[in-house]
Amino acid sequence: MGLLPDEAKVLPPPGIVNRNSVWFGLCGWATAMLHNSLNRRPALKAGVHRQALFTTVGWFIGYHLTKYENYKYATLDRDMNEYMRLHPEQFPEKEPKTFAEIVEPFHPIR
Amino acid sequence: MPFGRLLLRTSTVNKMFSRNSFIASKPDPSKPNMLRAGLAFGSTAVLWALLFKQHSTDVHEYKTRNGLE
Repeated sequence: MGLLPDEAKVLPPPGIVNRNSVWFGLCGWATAMLHNSLNRRPALKAGVHRQALFTTVGWFIGYHLTKYENYKYATLDRDMNEYMRLHPEQFPEKEPKTFAEIVEPFHPIR
Repeated sequence: MPFGRLLLRTSTVNKMFSRNSFIASKPDPSKPNMLRAGLAFGSTAVLWALLFKQHSTDVHEYKTRNGLE
């Protein structure tokens, strides 16, 4: 991991198929198909090597982006939980209300 | 003669870096550039292999650090 510190390895890694990978892969494929169209070639049947390469590059970038995203969210959660642990007076436990107490009385107009 | 002039030969070597209306040709789809296509497919395979290896390393690291295996 180039841009992730060592502690990020504690987090569960994303699957090979993940949201960012699929999206970036599709974007890469769309770029290759657009390249074909702009050069007046059949969009799907031409330049398959280019389509495969762009999709793969997108998938690769998406995987590492998902890892980075997971790490960023995990640090935010950790900091938030640490703050809540150090300042319990700002987060009092509230009694859960039943719906009967919240809902206004019903006056049918028939 | 300035040195730059010597680099402006319109020979086959220079065809890759500059297009000149005397030697330009339309790209011919019936004669694919096999080297370029081979490199593209090869780098595709390399990238997928790298991805799978990185994923298995990550899974192994995760399991060892959390004491699951």
